[in-house]
Amino acid sequence: MSEGHKNRFLRPETLSAVGILVVAAGFLIPTTDLRSISALLPAAMLIGLIILSLLLLLSDQRKAAAGEAPEKVTNSPKRVIGAFCLIVAYAVASDLIGFYISTVIAVPTVAYVFGFRNPLGLAIATAIVVGSIWLIFDFGMSQDFPTGRLWQN
Amino acid sequence: MYSDLLHALPEVFALTNFLAVIIGVLAGIVVGAMPGLSATMAISVLVPFTFGLEPLVALGLMAGIYNGAMYGGAIPAVLLRIPGTPAAVATTFDGYPMAQKGQGGFALQVAVVSSSIGGIASAFALMLLAPPLSKVTLLFGPAEVFWVAVFGLASIIFLLGGNPVKGLISACFGVFVSVIGSDPIYGNDRFTFGQLELLDGINIVILLVGLYALPPVIDLLETPLKTDSVEGEKLGTEPIWKALPKMKGYWKTWLRGSFIGIWIGILPGAGGSMAAFMSYNEARRSSKKPEDWGQGEPEGVAAAETANNADTASALIPALTLGIPGTAVAAVMLGGLLVHGLQPGPMLFRDNPDVVFGFMWQFLFGAILLVLLGGSLATNSFARLLNLPRPLLGSIIIVLMLIGVYSIHGRMFDVYMMLGFGAVGWVMDKLKFPLPPVVLGLILGAFAEENLRLALRIGRGDWAVLFKNTTSLVLVALTVAVVIGPMLKRRFIDSRKKEGEEA
Repeated sequence: MSEGHKNRFLRPETLSAVGILVVAAGFLIPTTDLRSISALLPAAMLIGLIILSLLLLLSDQRKAAAGEAPEKVTNSPKRVIGAFCLIVAYAVASDLIGFYISTVIAVPTVAYVFGFRNPLGLAIATAIVVGSIWLIFDFGMSQDFPTGRLWQN
Repeated sequence: MYSDLLHALPEVFALTNFLAVIIGVLAGIVVGAMPGLSATMAISVLVPFTFGLEPLVALGLMAGIYNGAMYGGAIPAVLLRIPGTPAAVATTFDGYPMAQKGQGGFALQVAVVSSSIGGIASAFALMLLAPPLSKVTLLFGPAEVFWVAVFGLASIIFLLGGNPVKGLISACFGVFVSVIGSDPIYGNDRFTFGQLELLDGINIVILLVGLYALPPVIDLLETPLKTDSVEGEKLGTEPIWKALPKMKGYWKTWLRGSFIGIWIGILPGAGGSMAAFMSYNEARRSSKKPEDWGQGEPEGVAAAETANNADTASALIPALTLGIPGTAVAAVMLGGLLVHGLQPGPMLFRDNPDVVFGFMWQFLFGAILLVLLGGSLATNSFARLLNLPRPLLGSIIIVLMLIGVYSIHGRMFDVYMMLGFGAVGWVMDKLKFPLPPVVLGLILGAFAEENLRLALRIGRGDWAVLFKNTTSLVLVALTVAVVIGPMLKRRFIDSRKKEGEEA
């Protein structure tokens, strides 16, 4: 979603408006099964979202017609997608192989991938982070962490 | 009315409660000093960890962080011309030129003393104004409470500035999220799609962490700033007791900045950066040497820092009494109160006076502690924090987010949901959809629905019950004013501009 879209229908705001419209319309269907008083507020909000997204779509298309540049979303989409994928991968890994193993891998990996490449610094930081978590949350507060579904099965 | 304030004082001095404020202030300074991190984000990450804590410990941490972060933002603003928080932008105007002249230490001392004075004034305003306002709101019935919720949402959408369509979309999204789960009266499922985890609705903390913590983390990783040029030894700092006499001429600026900050704080949607800009402009306007401003005038730092800290506790006046937060941080703090079963609004003062008045004292002590912790111990050492590698910081915050959200119910479902809200929050943030209306929508949505349905039951289904008494009509009029006011103002400014161009 970088700058300089040639196609006016691929502008970030237009895409968001269409996304909101589709999702809101999708959620509107189950409201028909609810009692009218239970459906009142959600239906009002979803219809509101549909109308507002149409207004947003029209206003962005009007801007596109006037030659206005689209809203700038990010300078480096690859880094953003990479960051988000790593965060999701960390969550999934915690779920599957357990919190501590995932954290020992994720902390240095994320820092390394995004520019901190001092091996000693990474090792010390990982030890401090994981050690502090164990000491404060596990030992001190008896907090449970995901143990890993793979090992449970 | 104020006797409850005194009754709450001894509890605040309990060791753990007081220690929480100290830790909060220190953590807040650290967070504020890191460009890209904010008090809103820090409190969002903190909230889930406070589940098991006593309310006053949790609230003390939050009050401390809020106060500390507002000052912490001044550190990179002065040393690097990078505001640590949005509210510290005006601090860069004179703080950075002072640092270039070798007066960085004095600039930070002016910032910490001014922040403290602003914070103290704000805490007193909260103590004096909130209790009488809460007495008035206690008289509200379901119809009035419904209109208060509508007024709160309208004010945060339309007074925030920016595109009202985007504000409305944010609010509708927040209200919609609030209705997910069991219907409060009939108990039928709404939008749960068979997921048992959604029956109780979406916990506000999951939304807060997703919306306010994930986008800054992605920003940290997207554009790592190089801040390794800071050297604490070159700040030219002298002990604060030696620096204080040099500041005695700033009392008018402190007074003016406090008033502006408190006023802006009470207004929904304005926030610390607006307070700091207004205070800076007013102080420069009334200065005998306005030409020196922008070139290293310490009074400029004093004006900005007093106002952005005076905005802190006062933003909680509408939040605690009416349930309408004035700023994003106040909205997140409301979430923190809800976590501890404290429903913001008129009943809070009646049902939990010890907690709510204790919280006010904690704001006051947080502001006082700012001078002691930020001034004497921190000025040099905190400057070095800016050297911390930001990718490493990002990865640590990710781990804290996962622990915090997982600890709410001990299930990964919440973590995945938080990531979903985080992705939505990041897109919203980049496309300039305001985030506070989402939080307020989630807080007020369920509240508004419950009271609307209650009012309709009382009125036997007659919608006219919502307009039957004077208070309701006043609230409707205020809501209309909040919606129409900014539009009229914009038209007036546009017509003045056109006239100016034609002339």
